[in-house]
Formats: sequence, structure tokens, C-alpha cells
Amino acid sequence: MRMLPTGEYIPGHSFLHRLDARVKLPCFFILMAAVIGAASLWGYVLVVAVIAVLILLSGLPLPAAVASVRRIYGFLLVIFLMNALFFGGEDVLASWGIVQLSRGGMEQGFRVVGNVVLILVLGNLLTMTTLPTQVTAALASLIKPLKFIGVPTEEVAMILSIAIQFIPTLMEETELIKMAQIARGARFESRKLPERAASFIPLVVPVFISAFRRAEELALAMEARGYRNAQNRTRRKKEPLALRDYGALTVCTLICLVQFLLRRC
Amino acid sequence: MSIQIEHLSYAYRLPSGEKVEALKEITCTIATGDFVGIMGPTGSGKTTLLQLIAGLRRPTGGRIRLNGKDINAHGYNRNLLRQMVGVVFQEPENQLFATTVEKDVAFGLKYSGLSRPEITARVQWALETMGFDFEKIRNQSPLALSGGEKRRVAIAGVLATKPQILLFDEPIAGLDPYSRQHFLHFVTKINQAGTTIIMVSHNMEALAEYTRHLLVLAQGRLIDSGPTREVFIRLKQKHSGAFGQTEAQKITTLLAKNKLVLPAAVVTYDDLLSALKQELAGGGPG
Repeated sequence: MRMLPTGEYIPGHSFLHRLDARVKLPCFFILMAAVIGAASLWGYVLVVAVIAVLILLSGLPLPAAVASVRRIYGFLLVIFLMNALFFGGEDVLASWGIVQLSRGGMEQGFRVVGNVVLILVLGNLLTMTTLPTQVTAALASLIKPLKFIGVPTEEVAMILSIAIQFIPTLMEETELIKMAQIARGARFESRKLPERAASFIPLVVPVFISAFRRAEELALAMEARGYRNAQNRTRRKKEPLALRDYGALTVCTLICLVQFLLRRC
Repeated sequence: MSIQIEHLSYAYRLPSGEKVEALKEITCTIATGDFVGIMGPTGSGKTTLLQLIAGLRRPTGGRIRLNGKDINAHGYNRNLLRQMVGVVFQEPENQLFATTVEKDVAFGLKYSGLSRPEITARVQWALETMGFDFEKIRNQSPLALSGGEKRRVAIAGVLATKPQILLFDEPIAGLDPYSRQHFLHFVTKINQAGTTIIMVSHNMEALAEYTRHLLVLAQGRLIDSGPTREVFIRLKQKHSGAFGQTEAQKITTLLAKNKLVLPAAVVTYDDLLSALKQELAGGGPG
């Protein structure tokens, strides 16, 4: 059964949906730091428990929350094997020339794969419960102080938001072009690496052209709809942060602190 | 090469976990050399049906048989399927990538086992069939051509493999009237040469005038099928043309409201003209 591109916003009224994007973004980075900072089993238990609670609070079904992880099984396996076989360490379990399977390497592999998976799920939760327009507004608000050193903050926020928003669209388009090229004889499954790399040219070139065409069309459409230089842009709603927003920020900061305390123990 | 579609279903899941049934229990047969149109509202499953016939997706239920053989059965030769079934997707000009038109059109012949002179001859034939001067166009960049030319080059790329079944997804959308006419004329020509054509379109006139059979999809279900004229008449009678009617049928409805009743069999402009001539000559049903 086909899965649609992951990471797209799913409408809802859950706690995470209602949380202000200006808080969700910093919370995401704080929790990301907590994931990277996990150094012991208890550290991982803590972040896994926090993410499980967040999935419950998001109201999203578990398969949707972990969908992007399922798409990169192969990549995760490669990361694990690279760490397990080339990390080295003293506790060697088996060796074949320069390749050594060590306990330390396997631990490192599990840690890196675990971090990637947890950060991906966090990212999924963020994008699936936050509208791209909310992300733009939040980014613009958070990087506002940089305006004083000449950074065009509104434009930067808009560029980032559009880039995020177009990932699923481009993935869908890539799938369609891939299908069209397969239909006219392309073979993407060749086992020889040079042949395999060359076989992707019929896919990469049209996708790039399409992305540039889309960018040009979008720029024209935005201009036609009145978008000018983003300076002095007004907002329809100016909502102050709610109690739950302050609460979420505090809890996330505390989780991060606990994580670093666990690291020291 | 006949196509038997038996209880075909296709479903997928949205990121939210919700199951979407794009096609439900489709059963029909498409005869060798037929020209079949597929119509239906947006999201009714037309493109999915084409992708399933081309073997680009696997059905979640039912079967598709080409000459009696299940194309999704274990061991079915997919490369042979690619050679037998050609697909022209929506906006095929987006598939172009090679540095010259000749290389792009020859792309599908890479694994055909043909010699270089044979490939060149095949490319020349495909480009000339699509109305190009081969010597003039062969070394041009496909990306530097106009929109209509790009589309014709992309179709030539599919045609070059000489498929026995050709599937078109909205091939005339966005074409100017001249290019549209030229394209439909070309499709009729290759159909007359024996190629089975299946064409998805929202253009009622093109479907009414060029196809011999019609499949009508709505919300993933096949709601009507049969000879084109009969289907158009039934759709007007049963659904008041909600799923599509030709301009000639709309004019007939308008005339009937103004007390000029023409036969229900009026589907194309030619039918309308004949009926009006008969009416003016005093031989109409009144």
C-alpha cells in the first residue's frame, strides 16, 4: 500500500496543535539538545518517554508520527554498520583486515541511529502539528533581533518556510517523474555503482528543472498577489503566549537540564 | 493485445493513517486495437487506473491480465511489459533531460537490443510521425523548445519503443486548438495501425469524436462503460450530464427548453448539424 509523503501538516486540535509555534520551535531545539546529550541508558529512557508523551499529546496515530523513520531503514542500517565495523575500540568481537566488529562500535552505532530516529520523530511532530505559515511567523518573530545587524529576517523566515513546505511536493513530483521514466525504459535498480549513478540523471535533471520552474512560478504568483519586500509586513492576528506555552517551554528546559545532570552522574 | 481488468482495487494510507480507496472493484475488458476513453471528475481514480494498467503500481485487490496473463503475477516479465505498454503522463515535457532531442527520444530504446542504425531509424520515424523535420531537430536541446514542441518530443520518446498499448493521461490539456487537433489526428492514425489506445481526458468533444468505448469513473468506481455514444446518451439521461456532456448535448438541452426537441442521440457537432438540417427540412420529431 502506497504512503503519501510524510511530514505534511495534519489538521487537529490536540495540545501540540494548540501550542504556539514561537514556543514549539525553541522546544524542538531544546529537546533535540536533550536527545544529543543522552549518554546513558537512563538518558535514553528519559527522551524516549518524553517523545512517547508528545506523540500522545499530538493526537497523531503512531504510524504517522514515525512514518519518516520507516522510509530510511536502509540509510539507518548503513549508519549502524559503518559505526559497528569501523569505529574500532578495544573490545573487538571479530575482525576482517581493517574491518573490526567491536562492542564499542556497536554501542556507538545504536547511539547514532537512536539519535537520528528520535530527532526525526521530533521533527515529524513539529511539522505535522504546525502550519507552514505558523512556522514562518514564528521564525520571523524569533530571529527578529538579528534585524539590528542587517539580517533580512522576514525574507529568511519566508525562504525557510517555503523550502520546508515544498519538500513533500517535490518528493511527490520526483515519484511521478521516476514512474514516467521507468515507463519509458529507465532502470534504477542496476547493481553496478557507476551504472546506477548514471541511471539517476533522467530523474535528477527533470526534478531540478521542475524545482526551478516552480520557484519562478511561485515568485510570480506571490508578486501578483501583492507580496513585496517583506519589511513592515503586518499580521492578521497578534496573539500573546498562553499559560500552556510558558509551561511547555519550562518543562522542555527542565528535561534538558535533567538530561545534562544524568550525563554528569 | 486485450486487457482484462477483474475486480481491481487500489488503496493507500494518508500520513494520518486514514485509508483512501482510490479504486474499488473495477471490472472491464479492453479489446485489441480499441480506442478507449476514460472520463470522470478530478480524484475519481483515472490516473491511478492508467498507472496500474502500465504496471507502475501494484493493485491492492483484483487482477489485470494482458492477453490472459496476470501482469502482477510472480515471474511476469516486467521489461517485456514496458516494451508492450507505453505511457504518456500529464505534462510529459517534464520528463525531458538529455542534451539533444535525438538522445532523449532514443532513451527508451537503450535496452531494446536494437543496433545503433536501427535506433536512429526508429527515432527518425517517431519524430517524423510527430511532425518534426528530423535533421533540423535532432541536435537541438529539448529544453530550448516551445511547450508544444517539448510535448511532441516527449510523446515521440514513448512512441519510439513501438508499444502495442499506448496510455495517455490528459494528453491535450493545455494545448492550443491546432496542436490538439493535430495530436488527435495522429493518435487516430496510430490506432488505425493497430495500437490499442487508452486516453484519459476531461475534453468531452475529443472523447465523443475520437474514442470508440468509454469508461466513466466516479469516486473510484466504474459507474458506466460501453460504446462512447451510448455512454454519453445514458449519462445525460441518468445523471443530467453531471459527469460530463458534450457541447452538442448542452445545445440540445438549451433548444429543448425553447421548445425545439432534437433526438437524444445527438452527441457530437456532426449529429447536431444533421438533426438541425432534418428539423429545418421539416422531417424532425417536432
